[in-house]
Amino acid sequence: MATLHVLSHSPFTDSRLSSCLRLLGPDDGLLLCGDATYALQPGSAQCLALELMPATISLFALDEDLAARALKTPTRVQVVDYPGFVELSCRFAKVNSWL
Amino acid sequence: MPQSLLIISRQAPWAGPSAREALDIALAGGAFDLPLAMLFLDDGVFQLLPEQQPTAVQQKDLTANLQALPMFGVEALYVAERSLQERGLQTHPMNLPVQMLDDSALTALIDRYDQVITL
Amino acid sequence: MKFAIALFAPPHAPSSRRALRFAQAALAGGHEIVRLFFYQDGVHSAASNPVCPQDELDLSGEWREFVRDQGLDAVVCIAAALRRGVLDAQEAERYQRSAVNLQAPWELSGLGQLHEATQLADRLICFGGP
Repeated sequence: MATLHVLSHSPFTDSRLSSCLRLLGPDDGLLLCGDATYALQPGSAQCLALELMPATISLFALDEDLAARALKTPTRVQVVDYPGFVELSCRFAKVNSWL
Repeated sequence: MPQSLLIISRQAPWAGPSAREALDIALAGGAFDLPLAMLFLDDGVFQLLPEQQPTAVQQKDLTANLQALPMFGVEALYVAERSLQERGLQTHPMNLPVQMLDDSALTALIDRYDQVITL
Repeated sequence: MKFAIALFAPPHAPSSRRALRFAQAALAGGHEIVRLFFYQDGVHSAASNPVCPQDELDLSGEWREFVRDQGLDAVVCIAAALRRGVLDAQEAERYQRSAVNLQAPWELSGLGQLHEATQLADRLICFGGP
């Protein structure tokens, strides 16, 4: 049963993203919100690491946090709003927020 | 069937109340006889080192609470092998009987539990 | 779907607002929230004393209105709250403190309420950090 992992810390000052990437199962999803969306900064090692994840892992980002930070959305990212976030937490068997 | 809960503790022991409060979740759940497990990940592994002297920073000893886990029925205790490796602790003695898991075993562990709290 | 929502962050943290917007979206989507449980620094998100400048978001006020209007079961962990100075009238009297900063609809109770909520819910969703 797949897990939706939720991150909100900046990956440039914090190890949660790298820890999380090592634990992802093949059907898991990753939702970036808050400062974790900075991981999508083009040209960063973090963005490259996300691009290199197996294609079976879905990558999501919260729309308001992308807009607030003027971040462009790489093609593999699915942008979600709050109803979308709720839908994801129903679709995945559990939600693991990296507090 | 009660829902099972995995608590992932990532905080070093003396950085504030976070490590203790994660442990309190486990102890409270154990008191209700709920199926739960605890995984020590990242800096959370520092909670497991013996001979720490929290009184030096006027903190209560966490070890007694950790060692109460099996008595509260929380016997599924795990530590991330990679977190130990990164910190040079792979062969270090631990103050608790924990099972060491590699990355793929951690993925399987998270998969097995109904709910997860990562603190 | 039945949600248990746990919050671990104070009202000035973006994750407190995120938790509220998620909870609002869950109800708007026809889902049920079996309980809100505020733990660690999340107890501050339930406290009634923050005073916000008029042109800033008053998240504590929004939480209070949301919980009251929706008639939600909203529990603040008593041990975490006492440690952080979040007291209802009863606890303020018990410990001889001059300020009360937790009112209805919030209720102080123990961690058992988190576990009970987890058992009643289909999903536990935690919010915390930035």
